[in-house]
Amino acid sequence: MKRFLIITWWEFLRHFKSRSFLLSTFISPVIFAGIILIPALFLEDPSANRFRLIGCLEFDTTGICGKVENRLVDVNAGNPLPPFLRFVTINPDTSPRLKERFQNLTELKMELDSLEDTYNTIKERRKFIFQKPRTPGRESSLRSTYDDLIQTREARDLMQLEYQQEKQTTDSLWRIESIEYADNLLNALQLEGYLLIDPEEFRTGMVEFHSLLPSNFLEIDPLKEAVQIVIVEQRLKDEGLRVDKIEEWLDPIKFREIQLQGEEKEEFDFIINYLGPIIIVLFLFISIFTSSGFLFGGVIKEKTNRVIELLLSSVNHQQLMAGKIIGLGLLGIFQIVIWYGLVLILIAFNVFTAGEVTFLTAKNAGLFLLYFVLGYLYFASIFVGIGSLFSNEEDAHHLNQFMRMLSIFPIVLAILVLETPGSLLVRILSFIPPLTPTFMILRTPLGNPPAIDYLISVGIMLISIMIGIFVAGRLFRIGTLSYGKKPGIREIFSIMLSGK
Amino acid sequence: MRVQIEKISKAFQKKRVVEDLTFSLHPGRIVGLLGPNGAGKTTTLRIILDILKPDKGLIRFDDRKMDRKIGDRIGYLPEERGLYQKYSILDVLIYFARLKNLSRKKSHVEAVRLLDAFDMIDHLEEPIGHLSKGTQQKLQFLVSLIHNPDILIMDEPMWGLDPMNQDLIKNKLFRLRDEGKTILISTHQLAEAESMCDQFVMIHQGKMVLQGSLEKIRKNFYQNMIILEMHQNPDILKKLPHVKKIDISDSLVHLYLDGNAPVKDVMQQIINLADVQRLEIHRPSLHDIFIQTIKSNTP
Repeated sequence: MKRFLIITWWEFLRHFKSRSFLLSTFISPVIFAGIILIPALFLEDPSANRFRLIGCLEFDTTGICGKVENRLVDVNAGNPLPPFLRFVTINPDTSPRLKERFQNLTELKMELDSLEDTYNTIKERRKFIFQKPRTPGRESSLRSTYDDLIQTREARDLMQLEYQQEKQTTDSLWRIESIEYADNLLNALQLEGYLLIDPEEFRTGMVEFHSLLPSNFLEIDPLKEAVQIVIVEQRLKDEGLRVDKIEEWLDPIKFREIQLQGEEKEEFDFIINYLGPIIIVLFLFISIFTSSGFLFGGVIKEKTNRVIELLLSSVNHQQLMAGKIIGLGLLGIFQIVIWYGLVLILIAFNVFTAGEVTFLTAKNAGLFLLYFVLGYLYFASIFVGIGSLFSNEEDAHHLNQFMRMLSIFPIVLAILVLETPGSLLVRILSFIPPLTPTFMILRTPLGNPPAIDYLISVGIMLISIMIGIFVAGRLFRIGTLSYGKKPGIREIFSIMLSGK
Repeated sequence: MRVQIEKISKAFQKKRVVEDLTFSLHPGRIVGLLGPNGAGKTTTLRIILDILKPDKGLIRFDDRKMDRKIGDRIGYLPEERGLYQKYSILDVLIYFARLKNLSRKKSHVEAVRLLDAFDMIDHLEEPIGHLSKGTQQKLQFLVSLIHNPDILIMDEPMWGLDPMNQDLIKNKLFRLRDEGKTILISTHQLAEAESMCDQFVMIHQGKMVLQGSLEKIRKNFYQNMIILEMHQNPDILKKLPHVKKIDISDSLVHLYLDGNAPVKDVMQQIINLADVQRLEIHRPSLHDIFIQTIKSNTP
């Protein structure tokens, strides 16, 4: 027992002091956190959020763009993730040529208005003359004003015609220039896309979306939803409904998701209930594979330089293997404790709130630790058994890579748990040893598995670990003293079965 | 402590590596375990160390079977060496001492004492990887001595050492022998074995082929052989009485005589018969014995 403890402490201490441990404890989580958080920060930071910057171009001043923008804010308020679409109204610059035309148009309009005023004045005057019967000069006044009226009306109608033609041309040019301007913004990658709103077509429910990429790549569903609401609002107004009622009816629904947690019920939160367990699983796997990797590499190194023979002249195979496995397992637990401490420090510094890690209850933390220990012992027995068969790191390198890839497999399959944590398939997969730790850790906060699932999964893991350690013991006993050629699959199976 | 190896056999997947091997180690003696590659030397050492269990036979230590206490009285130096390259000499020595059941304090004291004795005290805190290869070899030797063992089992102890360090280790081994330690050395370096060992055990294909002190072995191998260099045709020597066989190699004539031949008389007759430049009675070296034994035992 004393020697076992000496080996345990030595393995713990020598790997604790290693650079690899520091890297996997402090650098790997930073990299993982970066992978997870940087896109979120990118979305949250409006100045950085150019990737989903959507423009809105309208050809008049009805303010549909502003309405869509407001509705988009409402739609995003119900989304658990930070809004990834940012909406801006496009105000195109006009060219000097167009400015001149606008100036002409304004002048024509003023002239038209002036003629209209003159015409109306003459009309009023004639009305006044008509209302005063039998006054001297009435007839001559009516005749002269009639001529003025006709001339003014003709001039006004001509001006009206000229104005309409000029306006139509200017409007067309304005549309072309505006669209060109918006397209330039697209090509310059200042916008991901833009809505083109023609008020007339908008009433019929027709809205154009211009972009470089297919719109589904841009995930513009919230935008479609916002436009739909504005159109419905517009149509209801046209039907003569009261604006305040429309506002009330179109107020977005508040969808509360309540999740059963044993006998208690808790409101579902995406970050807390979904992302949290994934991060926990990733971190536990970093820890399991840091420790198992040390075990694998350590055994091969000790075998290469024959230290293992020195050790075996002082302790037996079981003590050596157990000391290594437990020492490095404690290192894994210590690594988790460090991370837990870091979480507490981050909470203390308000980097995130304790409310965001509520899934980390004492019960859940205990279960996570239990499945970490079971997962580690299972993988460690495989790594130590296989590692002892190789005489140098080069021979073992490819197998190590292959085993690491296989070990990632449970994380890849974890998507099944995230989608349907309580399905029969997920339950069955939870009872397959390499998948058990990952699946049960994910299911705990997501699916609230029944107690029987915990019992079965722990029982299966214990039996698997016992078999694993028994087989690893045989491989270790024979493998640590075998040098020379790489063992073949048949040889490995022969040692596993016969122990010789 | 006396070690009796009694009829031990070991096979790996039907291949017999050690077969019916019996010999003893005695306090105050250095025994050389000799044999060609694959003879079963390392397996024999591992069986003595209880790293491997024999299929048959047993090992007795002062008439007791191996147990943990006996294991703690054995020091082992494996053939290839490395130790933990990133860790300090002191830490590694203390670790191995503690595995041999020394207290932490005693381990520390012994480590410092040994390092001082071997002039390595200045490297105390240095990582092993920073040391020269020779110093690392010396350190490995210290690891096998750190717990002051009664039995020392060493696989190629001089491997990789410069002549100065070889002398240092050799003298230390002689001192340990004089202190009454039981020492077993497995080696290929026959000249080194000849100068160090009091007794030899030679194995070939897992079987013992020779055992005893150098004198005893030589006596058994004493082949009444005369070596001479002469101008005439060596065939004239065939006429001499007691001559069994004549071999010529490198211009030297090897004259094999009957076991009970009077060597001095035969030499006198050679002088009378031929014009010889060199004439001597041949005393076989360990190397000759090794080669001859292996050849004669290889089917």
